[in-house]
Amino acid sequence: MSSEPHIFFSDVNERQGSFLRRTMLMGGATALGGLALVGRLAHLQLFKSEEFATLATRNQFNFRQVPPPRGLIKDRNGVVIAGNRPSFRVLVVRDETKDLDQTLDLLGQLLPDTLERRRTIIREVNAAPRFSPVPVKSDLTWEEFSKVNLHAAELPGVMADMNEARYYPHGGAYAHVVGYVAKVSDRDVKAIRDKGEQPPAILFNPGFRIGRQGIERSLDLDLRGVEGGKRVEVNARGRVVAEDIAGSRPAVQGSEIVLTLDNDVQQRALEVFGEEAGSMVVMDVRNGDILAMVSSPSFDPNLFVSGVPSRIYRALADYERRPLLDKALSGTFAPGSTFKPVVGLAAMKRGLDPSRRIFCGGSFYLGRRFACLGRHGSLDLRGAIKASCNVYFMTLAAEMGPDAIAETARDLGFGQTFDIGIGGQKAGLVPDREWRRKNPVRGDTKWYPGENPSYGIGQGALTVNALQLAVYTARIANGRKAVTPRLIKSIGGVEQGGSAFADLPYTPEMIQVLRDGMEAVTAAGGTGFRNSQLGLGTVKMAGKTGTAQARNYGSGSRKGAGRPWDQKDHNLFVAYAPTDNPRYAVSVIVQHGGLGGGTAGAPRAREAMKVALLKDPEIRARIESAGFEAQEDAGVREAEARGEPIDNGDAEAGAAVAPPPLTEPGQ
Amino acid sequence: MTASALTRPGERDRLSTKFAELDWRIIGLLCILAGIGTAMLYSIAGGHWQPWAAKHLIRFGVLLAGMIGLAMVHPKWWFHAAYPVYGVLLFMVMLVEFTPLGYVAGGAKNWLHLGFIRIQPAEFVKIGLVLALARWYHGHSAQDARWSWKLLFPAGIIGVPFILVAKQPDLGSAMIIGLTGGVMMFMAGLSWRVIGAGVAAAVAVIPPFVMFGMHDYQRNRVLTFLNPEADPSGTGYNIIQSKIALGSGGLMGKGYGLGSQSQLEFLPERHTDFIFSTVSEEFGFIGSFTVIACYVALILISLRIAALSHSHFGRLSAAGMTAFVALFMLINGAMVMGLAPVVGVPMPMLSYGGSSMMTVMVGFGLILSTRVHRYVELPKGQGLF
Repeated sequence: MSSEPHIFFSDVNERQGSFLRRTMLMGGATALGGLALVGRLAHLQLFKSEEFATLATRNQFNFRQVPPPRGLIKDRNGVVIAGNRPSFRVLVVRDETKDLDQTLDLLGQLLPDTLERRRTIIREVNAAPRFSPVPVKSDLTWEEFSKVNLHAAELPGVMADMNEARYYPHGGAYAHVVGYVAKVSDRDVKAIRDKGEQPPAILFNPGFRIGRQGIERSLDLDLRGVEGGKRVEVNARGRVVAEDIAGSRPAVQGSEIVLTLDNDVQQRALEVFGEEAGSMVVMDVRNGDILAMVSSPSFDPNLFVSGVPSRIYRALADYERRPLLDKALSGTFAPGSTFKPVVGLAAMKRGLDPSRRIFCGGSFYLGRRFACLGRHGSLDLRGAIKASCNVYFMTLAAEMGPDAIAETARDLGFGQTFDIGIGGQKAGLVPDREWRRKNPVRGDTKWYPGENPSYGIGQGALTVNALQLAVYTARIANGRKAVTPRLIKSIGGVEQGGSAFADLPYTPEMIQVLRDGMEAVTAAGGTGFRNSQLGLGTVKMAGKTGTAQARNYGSGSRKGAGRPWDQKDHNLFVAYAPTDNPRYAVSVIVQHGGLGGGTAGAPRAREAMKVALLKDPEIRARIESAGFEAQEDAGVREAEARGEPIDNGDAEAGAAVAPPPLTEPGQ
Repeated sequence: MTASALTRPGERDRLSTKFAELDWRIIGLLCILAGIGTAMLYSIAGGHWQPWAAKHLIRFGVLLAGMIGLAMVHPKWWFHAAYPVYGVLLFMVMLVEFTPLGYVAGGAKNWLHLGFIRIQPAEFVKIGLVLALARWYHGHSAQDARWSWKLLFPAGIIGVPFILVAKQPDLGSAMIIGLTGGVMMFMAGLSWRVIGAGVAAAVAVIPPFVMFGMHDYQRNRVLTFLNPEADPSGTGYNIIQSKIALGSGGLMGKGYGLGSQSQLEFLPERHTDFIFSTVSEEFGFIGSFTVIACYVALILISLRIAALSHSHFGRLSAAGMTAFVALFMLINGAMVMGLAPVVGVPMPMLSYGGSSMMTVMVGFGLILSTRVHRYVELPKGQGLF
């Protein structure tokens, strides 16, 4: 075929012709392909541009939460009780470390204690979201902080920064009332979920702390503040490239809480407890402000902020004097003799003439013998309070029955909790017939007269806490109003409380009888005389001692000397001052403090009371104008005249009670 | 002076004449594209010449000179060299496959280590393929090209490198080789019926091949293409991020050096396969349209050059070179826009990478040579086959 020229040429032409046609096709196809790409570009870049711009922004920017500074808690005079302090910490970002194990090895050389917690750290780091920094150690010293920064280049994924940590400058003084903050636990999150709410995201921030006890817990939401956000530009690996100031929102500090507590009184109150276990509440009798509320022994709440080591926690939890328990609110005890004025008041309401005399021969018989601490002879109500005569009040109780006593007890603040803004209060128990019907003893719902004598001297089923004792004392000292306690003075500048108090359903004359009796207690010859002398001239303290049996003793010494600590009686004391124009009430419970509120309770009450009185400008002016030195001398002379030792308390209490050195003028 | 079909003898062989015959539109467009590529590489590096922009520009400069040099080469040398070049390149592909000189990078064994230089023979083998096919078709009739048993030869010329490269496994390059070869067979005049049958066969074969014949990562890419949102952090990540980069560019773009997707490394492979996304992000629709338009212009000009050649070898070789540049551009474009699976196909002239740029520039050297020597007629039947 190829030998014939025309075929040859046609072949050439055919080849070329088909090529040209197909070149046109290919050019067209390419142009179409280009057009298709442009169409797609238009679709993406012109019509869906906004959607993708949003996605790009979401890629580019991350919103990092900034935990808000927690609100401050201050005392009534503006002293910071719970504040924030800068804390240096070391954080690890898993995805920026090359090898977590190796990094932790190196970090362990700089911070040896991270080795001990290595397993915990690895667990926490692995549980955290990618690129989210996990604190592995907080509260670094400056040396440690600079060491880590110095070696930062060798430690990829490790960074050191500064944040704010909760700080309690007064250590254990407010551990129970103000409480503490701690890391958010799974249980906290679960509790919120169980309420059907979504836990706020800030809870999962490793730097965030949640209130765990006391004010920190009950006002957690007020103290928490509003978290800020930092808009940061990140790259694909999550590393922060830049911060977008305009898109960032500063964190708002939580509300400032002002408490009615007075730092000086509070500190002194805890101080005087020393090693003893117990609680003390100091109250303003006019407005119910709680000036001090301590529970001893205490613990350092700062330990809990960054996570308390389990060894220390165990030690605290296992200690028999129960430092973790808030004894002022949740420790309930039989009030013992401190309850006697209540019985007297109940009797007066039922028509008892306070001048009625009852003879004490040392025993009271109702089915069995009830002992008195002495043979007091014939006493009126004042004298019975002064001498704390069991027979007198057993007689009254046996005559009145439980319901009358319970009514007055409730009027004075027992058997109830008060809305002071923190939880954990126990109401205690004010027994009456109704209560017995609901709580039968072995199926018996009857209240037997044989139970009355014990009730009359504050024993039996009756239990109270230190706050109730303080409220009761304050109501008697106030004389007119049923004052209720107030702990939170203001939240974020908004004054709290302030509702008018109800009137006490007792005449001033009845109250006056009790006050006369309580003044006599602390006067020469009273059960609390030795340890109730303020040494502040005409400003004197009135009170009532009390002992609550910790267990049933049989015969033998009830002083408790030589007995193991946990078998000794509880020692109670309530008091108010000044006697002529009461301003402050105090209640003290010394657990296993031994017999007689005058020994362990009274000196402690006195010390706290002195601080409260001296801090009160009016009373201080009165003391200074009267000149307390001379009055003090007079008091001592009076005591000397009676042949009693000048020094008070300690000698009698012996080794059982060892209050810390008391520093007061004139001693 | 322009050289027309009627010039004095010897006039056309003068270097100055040849130089004047170069198509400066092509050279200009290549410079624009390489310039855009350099600018993007400079931007991606955060405003630094290192590590990419400077090298890219230097390579382009050297290859530009080489391309103009190749344009001066008489087609008869191309013609004679066609089979040997094809043979040598195929040999190099085999070296990669069967000797320790080849080594693995990025999941595929497609690099050849020659001590002083690392090259990807799979890129260059396309040049040999185009030359060999052009030469074979040059010596055969239209009937042969349409449909005859002799087509087994071009099929073999395409099939051997295709299979070797596909086994590396470098699916992108293999696809380009197969499609370039296919386009050349089509241009040479393959019967429409055969084309129809071939397309039908491909449609029938590809789904089972995807499911059973592919490596896992290749299959993932294909499946991811079909539904990128199924695995946004894994294999779908590239496509999603690329679409975000494109889309967020909008009409005007975010501005040079301000593309958050590329600057903050959300965009993967942003200096090679996904460089077009960077262009689109920073210069918007206007920028990416310009780039596409440049390519289309380049391709149409090249096809016209092919059509104007007096020799069938010239026509087919120029068309073949154009075909693979067009395929590069279309496949890469479709890939970054989420229209095609992610297969490692670079954007010619824009993407960083010496082998790919060299292939393209050699291709354009041949196209320019075809233009310069468009009146040269090569004798028929001087072939091995």
